[in-house]
Amino acid sequence: MQEEGSSSVTSLSLSPSLGSPRPMLKELRSEERGLCLIHLLLTCGNHVAAGNVETANVLLGQSSMLASPEGDTMQRIAAYFTEALADRMLKAWPGLHRALNSTRIVMVSEEVLTRKLFYEIFPFMKIAFVLTNQAIIEAMQGEKMIHIIDLNAVESAQWLALFQILSARPEGPPHLRITGVHHKKEILDQIAYRLVEEAEKLDIPFQFNPVVSKLESLDFEKLRVKTGEALAIISMLQLHSLLACDDEGRRNPHLAGTSNAIPRQRRQPMFQSSSSEKDTANEYAPSPDSSSSSPASLTTSNSKHMESFLNALCGLSPKVMVVTEQDSNHNGLTLMERLLEALYSYAALFDCLECRLPRTSLERLRVEKMLFGEEIKNIVACEGFERRERHEKLDKWIQRFYLAGFGNMPLSYFGMLQAKRFLQSYRCDGYKMREENGCVLICWQDRPLFSVSAWRPRK
Amino acid sequence: MTTEPPPMPLSGEEAATLSALDLETAPQPPAPPLKKKRNLPGMPDPDAEVIALSPKTLLATNRFVCEICNKGFQRDQNLQLHRRGHNLPWKLRQRATKEVRKRVYVCPEPSCVHHNPSRALGDLTGIKKHFCRKHGEKKLKCERCSKKYAVQSDWKAHMKTCGTREYRCGCGTLFSRRDSFVTHRAFCDALAEESAKAQTLSTDDKDGVGAGVTAASSSSPPQPPLTPSTSVVSPTLSIQSSEIPENATRLSPPTTCVAKAVTTSTVLATVLASSAGAAAPSTTSFPNVTAATSLSLSVPLYLSNNVNDPRHHYTACPQPSTTAALSATALLQKAAQMGAASSNTSLLRGLGLATSSTGYHPQDESGIDNPIMQWNMSSHVKQENPSLADHNLGLGLPCGDPGFADVMMGSPPMTRDLLGLGIGGNGGDNVSRGGLSALLTSFGGNFDSSGDAGGVRHQ
Repeated sequence: MQEEGSSSVTSLSLSPSLGSPRPMLKELRSEERGLCLIHLLLTCGNHVAAGNVETANVLLGQSSMLASPEGDTMQRIAAYFTEALADRMLKAWPGLHRALNSTRIVMVSEEVLTRKLFYEIFPFMKIAFVLTNQAIIEAMQGEKMIHIIDLNAVESAQWLALFQILSARPEGPPHLRITGVHHKKEILDQIAYRLVEEAEKLDIPFQFNPVVSKLESLDFEKLRVKTGEALAIISMLQLHSLLACDDEGRRNPHLAGTSNAIPRQRRQPMFQSSSSEKDTANEYAPSPDSSSSSPASLTTSNSKHMESFLNALCGLSPKVMVVTEQDSNHNGLTLMERLLEALYSYAALFDCLECRLPRTSLERLRVEKMLFGEEIKNIVACEGFERRERHEKLDKWIQRFYLAGFGNMPLSYFGMLQAKRFLQSYRCDGYKMREENGCVLICWQDRPLFSVSAWRPRK
Repeated sequence: MTTEPPPMPLSGEEAATLSALDLETAPQPPAPPLKKKRNLPGMPDPDAEVIALSPKTLLATNRFVCEICNKGFQRDQNLQLHRRGHNLPWKLRQRATKEVRKRVYVCPEPSCVHHNPSRALGDLTGIKKHFCRKHGEKKLKCERCSKKYAVQSDWKAHMKTCGTREYRCGCGTLFSRRDSFVTHRAFCDALAEESAKAQTLSTDDKDGVGAGVTAASSSSPPQPPLTPSTSVVSPTLSIQSSEIPENATRLSPPTTCVAKAVTTSTVLATVLASSAGAAAPSTTSFPNVTAATSLSLSVPLYLSNNVNDPRHHYTACPQPSTTAALSATALLQKAAQMGAASSNTSLLRGLGLATSSTGYHPQDESGIDNPIMQWNMSSHVKQENPSLADHNLGLGLPCGDPGFADVMMGSPPMTRDLLGLGIGGNGGDNVSRGGLSALLTSFGGNFDSSGDAGGVRHQ
């Protein structure tokens, strides 16, 4: 059987290494294997989306054979995407899915470690910190009382650096208050301890207010914003999860297996059916069915939760709000859109890792599996409220902020310079940084991956 | 603000307000203040009468109104004098008693420092301004820099100085603030070019670095009229550069890298040390340099670049062992090109994907001869036949046999579809995006969810 198959095909094969009738898997050149995997993934994605369980099953099997979390870059990517697609299919059997995940233990220390690795290995967070701190410093010139709200207080390095800068102000350090928001108390405690300790050393009057809360249920009263203090709001890769809240009401049944449920028809009349990245022009044109009087893009009017959150943030009258977000469109309506986009984005991220760490590195494995793998799974396998990794492109964020009453604040020249120098000295050559509309995009080989931008209320 | 005793006994209104509040007499401060510093020179009068006014009272302006022209006055005496102009009866009241007890005022806001009677302010105007400034709403805004004020006199004072001075760099950039101007000059690209030349010329690390970096950080080293910050930079640099050689041996990267490190950390040292004087930076900045160099190249705390990182696996990772060392991104691009070369219809149709049930049939005929397509067709075959093991997926790949890969790689340069099918056959128009979506369109055509197999089996 197989011989027949391969022999009839080898005549077409141009690859010299596959001259033998039964080429072994290992002899596949990595390039061919990579292309093969891409093809498999996309095809499989199609089938999963269409609900063709049998076919998808076979394809997943093939893909798993070729993919490996310890192989080359494409193999690793394929491994996680394969897993994600399989996860998606399995959701058609909710009991089965839940049972398989029932012994999953998520340890806080693991999460912390993973995040720490991400911070160490990649330059993205560091650059974001530099730019953020610089924006804060410049906005808070001469202020005596500074209040910073950190919407995801996990990394103390940023604030430690800020302490250094503030303690060296000529007029002395200001009175600093940081409100950290996170859903796990232990992490806030750790951060609090670290920051308070450092502030004491530097003799900065400092206060840390922990707010244990998920972002979507954040009670703004708890933030305790006072009049007379200068407020800064920092959001690091957090806002996109709020988009998931708006999807709750429009939750589509899981696509795997049973139904052909590529959600072409959304209940909201405003979504264009083919809202891929390419069609952003269409998205911005007001639809005749649009019930919203908002002149701006259609997509924003569907995000009530996000809108109200941003409005509330604007209502706090911060002096500056600095937002760091992933800059990829992983919030497409259809699975294939997201799959495609995610393939590109995570290919870039995995390439970063390949450039930086050897294949045997455990840290690399950890980041790939615990961070990227989980994100991929979320993007591909989940729908509705569960799908939290709703990354979007910067222009959509700009629109949202604008609608909420924010105006763009160009990032500090000095900050950008610092960041650029840092990037230049970084080990890998592929990172690039560019400025667009007052926002900074950090790219890998021309593909923007993260964006940093600063905002303040317009009036 | 000079302390002046209230000129007259309180009017009826004020007295009523006061009597409504609790008047504390504080012969002794009830609790010792946390800070030893006091705003008032000398000790406060222990016999002073402590007065707590309500927020309403403090924020009120113009409580005395002329009945004729409705002009408001803050003091009754002023109103009386004004009434003279209207030929109305007026009466200037004298102080009730010669002996007036000294009055001090506390702030009604409980969280305020001045709420404590021992920290009371001695001046009525002072407490009014304080309350307005700290606990009031900032309604006044500077147009130029959008700084907000609650007290009109503060606002006016700011307006006098805001934007009055402008600085222009040689490269043409305009600054309103001195510090940003200075730091810009230190890093202006136009100047950096000059310094780059200077750096490459000097190979001697100590002096070269020092000179090079000095050149980099100031427009022209011998220029006297540089601002104090810049002048601080020079001695800082020379101090640091003298320490660099010791560190240079520790640092593996070349001189230019170190120079950059010094430059970056120097600027940071500048920012940190500011105008603290040339001597101070020598002690404060060296720890920064050390920290910077040990963390390499940036703000001490968080921009660790692992230049000195002893961990092996952070060194440049070895190339993969296989000959084809394409990155994942490159693979994706290649796959997309291959897909595009196969000619596909528009992107939209491509993204129609599973729902586009366009012509599998027509493609049947056109593609049947192409054995490559059999792979696609056989996948439809699978829908009919649950026992997949018997099927070789057309090309011998039930178990991921690389024969499949043969097929895949069979036609890259050929005009024949890699995947056998475009939606509309070989239309010949390339997808403008050239992305994987092009590849997708070829997939899209293949998978008719109606489960039509119709395909040619490969046997």
